[in-house]
Amino acid sequence: MSRPTRRDWLLGVSAWGAASAAGLRASPAAAFAEQGAFHARLLGVPGREVPEDARTAASRWAFELVERTSAPGRTLAEVVAVDGPELLQEPFVVWAGSEDPGQLGRTAQRRLAEYLSLGGLLVVDDRAPGNGAFRRGVQREMQRVWPDGSAVQLPSSHVLYKSYYLLERPYGRVEGPPSISAISKGRFAQVLFLEHDLLGALARQGDGWAHEVTPGGAAQRRMAVRFAVNIAMYVLCSDYKDDQVHAPFVMRRRMRG
Amino acid sequence: MNQGTLRLSADLSALELSLLAALVLLSWILLALEVRRRGGRGLPVLLSGVLGVGLLSLAVARPVRVREGGVERGARVVALVDRSERLLLPGDTEESRRALGKRAVEALRERFRGQRLEVWSFGDGALVPERDGAPPKGAAPNGTTPNGASPSSAAPLSAASDLIGALGEAAQLPGERPAAVVVLSDGRLSTPGPLEGVPSSGGGSSSEAATVLGRHPTGVPLHTVSLASRIPRDRSIRAVRTTGSAVAHQAFPLTVEAGCEPTAWCHDAEIVVRELLEQSAPRELARGRVEFARGVGVVELSVTVERAGSRVLEVAMETADGDEVPQNDRKLVPIEVRRDRTRILHVAGRPTYDVRALRLFLKADESIDLVTFFILRTPNSRSDAVEGELSLIPFPVDELFTEHLASFDAIILQDIDARAYGLAPYFPALSDYVTKGGGLILVGGPGAYAGGGYAHSPLAEVLPVEVPASPDAVVKKSFEPRYTAAGLAAPMLAGLRDALGTRLPWLEGANRVGPARPGAFVLWEHPGVEVTGAGRSGPMPLLSLGESGDGRSIALGIDGSHLLRFGELGARASGRGHTALWEGLLGWLMRDPRYEAAQLRGPSPCFAGHPFELTVTPLPDMADEVTISLERLGDAEPLSAEQAAPRRAQGARSGRPVVVSMPGLPTGAYAARARVGEAPAARWVFVCEEGGGSWADSRPDPDRLRKLAELSHGQAVDAAHVDDLPLPAAERVLAFSTSRPLLPDWAWATLATVAIAAHFWLRRAGGYA
Repeated sequence: MSRPTRRDWLLGVSAWGAASAAGLRASPAAAFAEQGAFHARLLGVPGREVPEDARTAASRWAFELVERTSAPGRTLAEVVAVDGPELLQEPFVVWAGSEDPGQLGRTAQRRLAEYLSLGGLLVVDDRAPGNGAFRRGVQREMQRVWPDGSAVQLPSSHVLYKSYYLLERPYGRVEGPPSISAISKGRFAQVLFLEHDLLGALARQGDGWAHEVTPGGAAQRRMAVRFAVNIAMYVLCSDYKDDQVHAPFVMRRRMRG
Repeated sequence: MNQGTLRLSADLSALELSLLAALVLLSWILLALEVRRRGGRGLPVLLSGVLGVGLLSLAVARPVRVREGGVERGARVVALVDRSERLLLPGDTEESRRALGKRAVEALRERFRGQRLEVWSFGDGALVPERDGAPPKGAAPNGTTPNGASPSSAAPLSAASDLIGALGEAAQLPGERPAAVVVLSDGRLSTPGPLEGVPSSGGGSSSEAATVLGRHPTGVPLHTVSLASRIPRDRSIRAVRTTGSAVAHQAFPLTVEAGCEPTAWCHDAEIVVRELLEQSAPRELARGRVEFARGVGVVELSVTVERAGSRVLEVAMETADGDEVPQNDRKLVPIEVRRDRTRILHVAGRPTYDVRALRLFLKADESIDLVTFFILRTPNSRSDAVEGELSLIPFPVDELFTEHLASFDAIILQDIDARAYGLAPYFPALSDYVTKGGGLILVGGPGAYAGGGYAHSPLAEVLPVEVPASPDAVVKKSFEPRYTAAGLAAPMLAGLRDALGTRLPWLEGANRVGPARPGAFVLWEHPGVEVTGAGRSGPMPLLSLGESGDGRSIALGIDGSHLLRFGELGARASGRGHTALWEGLLGWLMRDPRYEAAQLRGPSPCFAGHPFELTVTPLPDMADEVTISLERLGDAEPLSAEQAAPRRAQGARSGRPVVVSMPGLPTGAYAARARVGEAPAARWVFVCEEGGGSWADSRPDPDRLRKLAELSHGQAVDAAHVDDLPLPAAERVLAFSTSRPLLPDWAWATLATVAIAAHFWLRRAGGYA
């Protein structure tokens, strides 16, 4: 994986500055009908690089969503600074990494807390779940950002597993644990801790996939894509599939499956 | 009448005079005892002593001759004339009870010609003086009386006959206590109610009289003049009652009490309950049959009203042949239907951040019962899975927009292509839903408005903006929406303005819509796009409100309201802008009084044909001018141009109530709209009926009048026998009084001195000590 994060960082910040100067634009690239489109933004932390393949994965994430569902998506990868105002522009961001992200500054902590209080959703994708350093580091920082929130395991009945596809467990580049933990506010899980390197399963290189998926190969990647779509649908529809009207359908299909 | 009398000096009190008399008497007794014991020349001593003491006492008492003159005048008599609308009903003959009452008052004036007769009319408020021969004061309904009679009184007519209140007020009138009170009525009084426990003859005890007559002074006879005794042939709806409160979407019991007289003429009747709607045919809610037993029938009906707020029910029965009062065969019942939870259907054509933000807002509100359907897959979607691996369910468009449509308080259609997802065939039902009181919000996006097949559709007819068919259904141009004058005054945007001022998020485009429809209000507009249509032109509306029939609709031609939650502007107010916007819009849609520009109140009841006043209480700091317009509900004839013409009044800026005079209206249910300055209009529903509720029971009750008279030892007569009423005794009034001493004071003193000196000379001469 290459490390062009400095460039990403500068691009993101400069794009935000231009947008702010022009008014209060949601995104310089967004046109009508795109301002509300799903956009897998990547969180940039000072001193930590955003892996190159994460940009292609974020782009692929939106692409797969658009291909498979009615939801609009923006495939332009964008890195937003954790301590910048652009974080508050949209309700979804992915914090991916493979090593301890280090301590967040006061501004970054405040901005992240503000993002969550607005109802934003943060996916923490551990790119190296084997050592868990990134996940532990993020959990440590989240304790400082959101002292009242603690991560709990989401049950298999959680709406994340039925927001579009009916899934049994989380998927990614690696098999990982059979469940994920999350910090919730009320009934909404707002910080999802993935230990499956989801971006790794979605990352592209040229016309092909950037990484092998183990141990399940193509079938596991297919499920990882579905899981990514489910997360996107959860972002866009929240707990829609938990509504009473869906319950009998979902139950019947699960029983058949 | 003059007369003279002798009186003692007025400067002596009764006690002093009593002491004087006692002393004189004692002196005489002692003198008599002395003369009797001693004998001899006792008689001269006795006589001189009596004379001396007598003259001495007269010198003290100084008698005067008083001459007085005066006149005899009639006693004060108070007449109370019933001014209820009920008196317009037929009496014993062709003429109305009120016309008979007028003649009875004339007869009363003749009968009590020598008395001081005061005539007052009573109803449900203060007593009103009746002037002799005064013309009717704007109270005459236009041909509204069953027999064509007009009110004969100068006082406004009343819905009730509160005799107890009137007697209490009469007792407080200035002047001496009346010698008699005369009540002229048909006896169907509001108070006192039926006197079933009161003896029918023999007079009542003072405690019974006090209980029934309240503050009527004890000992003052209450005479009654019955203005009707014949029961008209009438089948009527006497009362409509609900138990508990009416809740939207939930059945509640409606008890209808009907009456019919004479019983031999009565037969069963079918009762139909309908809800009267604006610009739409009435909706039948229930139907039942009432059977009469001894002139009364009761039927219990179960009624479900789908829309909350002020609603009007019409309870009607067919008019029987020969019914003398057909007006009371129909009763209009205003009811307040409250909402348990606001039931909202949220349908979105595709999931976006805008959809997400709205769903999060709706889900966060515990008072909202939300039913959501999002289209998650298009026909072109490549889901790469078999159906069993998906959680998708079919979009139950038919079920939603036919069977369950009426159960929703509001429907939000967000960026959904009506052609692609089969919504278009249900546009007529949706349009009907709105005109019958439902709420609709159309939220923008590429699948909304012209882009979704809404142009020139039946649904577009109920939107506050025109939806023209256009090849470019979307305006792709960056802009910041701009508040209009109405938007700056609109209470439903007050929360948003408080949070963000007049700034709005920068947007990348908007749905192309036409100008606002007549009567609609544009709150946000496009700063750079002009639209024309149907003779109107102006900046393109972005957020508009409108009313269609009984319902309300909102057109939001953008898909970026989520930027009031996220984005720099949204974050500046911690996301409160989005919540404030949608709270205001939904609140206005659901007629929450907090989001209306003004509160309206009117007379209760409103009598058909009578001019009345509406009171408008605007929110503080609104514009100065208030404009009131009226719309008739149901399928009745529309109002005349004069009746429907908007009425204007000034003075709203102060925030104090503004009174607007309205013309007399035909029987019916009405929606009044008050517009304060540029702000969206507030609406209030009311009913006007002939006779109000006072015609519900047309039977006179002379027996009640007779009992009232007997309770106070008065006399009960009918209008033809006013001359039989007893005349109270006349009162004498002193006109002048003069007094002159019989003798000067010095003469009395001299006479007394001489008499006593003579008495002592005789005593000594007679050997007395």
